[in-house]
Amino acid sequence: MVNNITVHKGSQFTRMLVYGVISLSLYFLLYLFEDEIQAFSSQGRWFFIAPVIIAFVFSFAHGNFTSYFWDTLGITAKK
Amino acid sequence: MDIASNFIDLNALDVTYLLLVGFIGGLVSGFIGSGGAFVLTPAMMSMGVPGIIAVASNMCHKFPKALVGAIKRAKYGQVDVKLGLVVGVSAEAGVLYGAHIQESIKRTFGDAGSNLYVSVAFVLVLGIVGSYVLRDALRMRHSAHTGEERVARLARWVQSVQIPGTMVYFKSLGARVSVLFTIPLGFATGMLAATIAVGGFIGVPGMHYALGASSLMSSATELVVAFVMGLGGTLKFAWSGMVDVRLAMIILAGSLFGIQLGAIGTTYVKPHMIKYVMGVIMVMVLLSRAIIIPVYLADLGFIGKLNPHLEGGLKNVSFIVLIGALAVGAAIIFSALWRGIRLHRHELEMAVVPGGAIQAETVVFPASPQLSPIGRYERFLVASDGSEYSAGAVREALRMAKKCGARVRVISVIAGGGAELYAMGEQLVAQELNNARQYLDGVARQAAASGVACETEVVQAGNINEEIVTQADRMQADLIIMGRRGRRGLARVMLGDATARVIGQAHCSVLVVPRASEITGRHFVIATDGSRFSDTAAAAAGSLAKLCGTPATVVSVHSPSHSERWRQEARHAVNRITSFLQREGVAAESQLLDGRSDEKIVEAAVARNADLIVVGSHGRTGLERMLLGSVAERVLNLTTCAVLVVRSS
Repeated sequence: MVNNITVHKGSQFTRMLVYGVISLSLYFLLYLFEDEIQAFSSQGRWFFIAPVIIAFVFSFAHGNFTSYFWDTLGITAKK
Repeated sequence: MDIASNFIDLNALDVTYLLLVGFIGGLVSGFIGSGGAFVLTPAMMSMGVPGIIAVASNMCHKFPKALVGAIKRAKYGQVDVKLGLVVGVSAEAGVLYGAHIQESIKRTFGDAGSNLYVSVAFVLVLGIVGSYVLRDALRMRHSAHTGEERVARLARWVQSVQIPGTMVYFKSLGARVSVLFTIPLGFATGMLAATIAVGGFIGVPGMHYALGASSLMSSATELVVAFVMGLGGTLKFAWSGMVDVRLAMIILAGSLFGIQLGAIGTTYVKPHMIKYVMGVIMVMVLLSRAIIIPVYLADLGFIGKLNPHLEGGLKNVSFIVLIGALAVGAAIIFSALWRGIRLHRHELEMAVVPGGAIQAETVVFPASPQLSPIGRYERFLVASDGSEYSAGAVREALRMAKKCGARVRVISVIAGGGAELYAMGEQLVAQELNNARQYLDGVARQAAASGVACETEVVQAGNINEEIVTQADRMQADLIIMGRRGRRGLARVMLGDATARVIGQAHCSVLVVPRASEITGRHFVIATDGSRFSDTAAAAAGSLAKLCGTPATVVSVHSPSHSERWRQEARHAVNRITSFLQREGVAAESQLLDGRSDEKIVEAAVARNADLIVVGSHGRTGLERMLLGSVAERVLNLTTCAVLVVRSS
C-alpha cells in the first residue's frame, strides 16, 4: 500500500512537471510573440476564433498543471 | 475605431497585480460558483485599460476558468450539467437584453445615468438577495442542521407545479420542473451579468431557493452557466476584435490556481459556508455601490454638486470596499479550508491509534462488570470496515473494554459472499481480504498493548447488517459498537445504512461512534418520551453517568400534535427520571422542549457540548421503520457525537 501511494505521488509529480513545462512554454510563447498574437487575435470578424482557441488551449494545459500542483502539495478534496 | 490603441503595454507590476486579483477571484468563483468577475473589470480599468476591452478580456478569461472549475466540481459529483445548460442558454438571452437596456440608458442619460442604473441594480438585488442569503447562512450556522439543507417552501411549490409539455427532470433537484420556471431564472441571471458582471448572485440563490437544488449543487452548476455566458460574451466581443488575449491569459494563470483551490474547499465545508461567503460578499459589494450613489446623483443634477475631495474620497472608499469584499470572501474560504483540512487530518490520524496506546482515560469507566441495571457490559462486538469511519468505534471500544474488563471481538465484514465476491476477480478479493487482515492485526496489537482481551476475524457476507447481528447473537454480545458512514439524504434512503439496520435488528444495545468523537464525560443528554423504552435508556444512561461522574440532562420533546394528556405524561416521566438520577447522585436537570424531537435532542446536545446522547429503541425494521422512521436514527444523522441506542425489548 505504501508503495502504491509512493508510486501514485511520483506519477502525480511527473504529470505536474509535464503540464507545468507545457503551460510555462505557452506563456513564454505568448510573451515572446506578444505583439503578433495580439494583432492576429484582435482582427475581429472570423478571427474571433483565435482568442477562443487560445483560451481553450491555455485552460487545458494550465488547468491540468494547477490541478496536479495542489494534489502534489497534498491539498486534495475530502473523499 | 483604432482597436490597437486600446491595448495597453504591460509591465511586471501590472502582471503581478492581475495574477493576484485573478487568483483571489478564481478562489471565490471555485467556492461559490461566481463572484470574482466584479472586481476584475474595475481592476483592469484602474490600470488604464478602456472599459470595453476590460469587459471583453474579463469574459475571455471567465469561460475557460468556469470550464476548469465545472470539470473539477463535476468530479466531486456536484454539477448538474443539464440544469446548467438550460439556465445558461436562457441567461444568454438575458445578457443580450440586459446589454440592450444598458445601451439605451447610456444613450438617453449618459455615463452617469448608466452608472446610477448599475448602482441601483446592485443595491436592490444585493440588498434583497444578499441579506436573505446571509440571514439563512447565519440561521443554519446556529442550528443543529448545519449538515443538512431543507428544500425551501418556494422550491417545493415550484416542484409541485405540473405544466404538460414543459417538464424536465433535473438530477440536482431529484424532481421534474417546468422550464417555464428555469427560463426566467436564467434570463434574470443573464440580465444581472450584463448589468453588474456577476449573474451568479441571482443564479445560485435562484437554483437553491426557487428550484430546490442544494447550495453545493447550485454553486457548482453556476459554473456551467458562467461557462455558457462567458463563451457567448467572448464570441460577441471577439467578433469586434475587443479581446486583449494577453490580459485574459494572465488573469487565467492566477485564477486557475484559485478555482482549483476553491473547488477543493467545497468538499471540506458544511453547506451554510457557501451561503455565508456569498452573503458576506454580496452585502459588502452592496455597501461599495451604495457609497458611490451620491456621486452619480450629483452628476445627474438630482442633488447639489459635491466637493471634489468628497467625490474622490467616495470613489476611493467604494473601490476599497469592493476589493475588500473579495478579500474578506477569500479569507473566509482560506480559513474554512484550513480548518477543514486540519480536522480531516486529525480524523485520519485518529483512524490509527498510535503505538498500541489507549490514551489516558478522560472518562473513568467502572471496573465492575455490572455497568447498568439492564444488563452486563462484558462482551463487545466491534464492527469495522477498516475505514476512517469506523476508527472512532474501535478506539472507544478498546477504551471502554479496558475499564470494564470486557472482552472485545472486532470483525471486519467484507461485502458480497460466494459468487458475488469472486465475480470481483480473485486478485481484488485477495487484496481486500489482505487489507482487512492487516488492519485487524493492527487493532489486535493495540488491544494487546492496552491489556484488552481481543479477538479479530475477517468475515465475508452477502448482507453486512444481518451478519453483524448474527455475530452479536452468537457471542451473546452486550453491546455492538459501530462507526457511521457519512451518507445522507436520498442515497441513505435508497441504499440503506448498515448502522441504522443493525440498530433496527440487533437484540442488544448499539453504541454508534462517529469517527472524530470521543466520550470524554463532559455531559450526557438522555432523551425520553415517557415510554418504557426510554425509561430503560434513562436507567442505563443514569448508571453510566453516575459511574463517570458526568452531569446529565433529561430531555423530552413535545410536538404541536401531541395532546395535553400526552404532554402531562411526558412531564411526569421527565421529573420521575430526573429525581431518580438525582437520588443516585447524578447532577441531573430536566428540559422540556417544543419542536421536532430529533432536532431538539441534537440542539440540546450541542448547547451542552455533550459527548453522548442516549436514546431508547424498540427495534422497528423493514416497512414499519421506513414509514414511521426512528428518532434514534434521525438523531444519528444529525449529530457528530456518540449515540448509545439502548434496546429494551
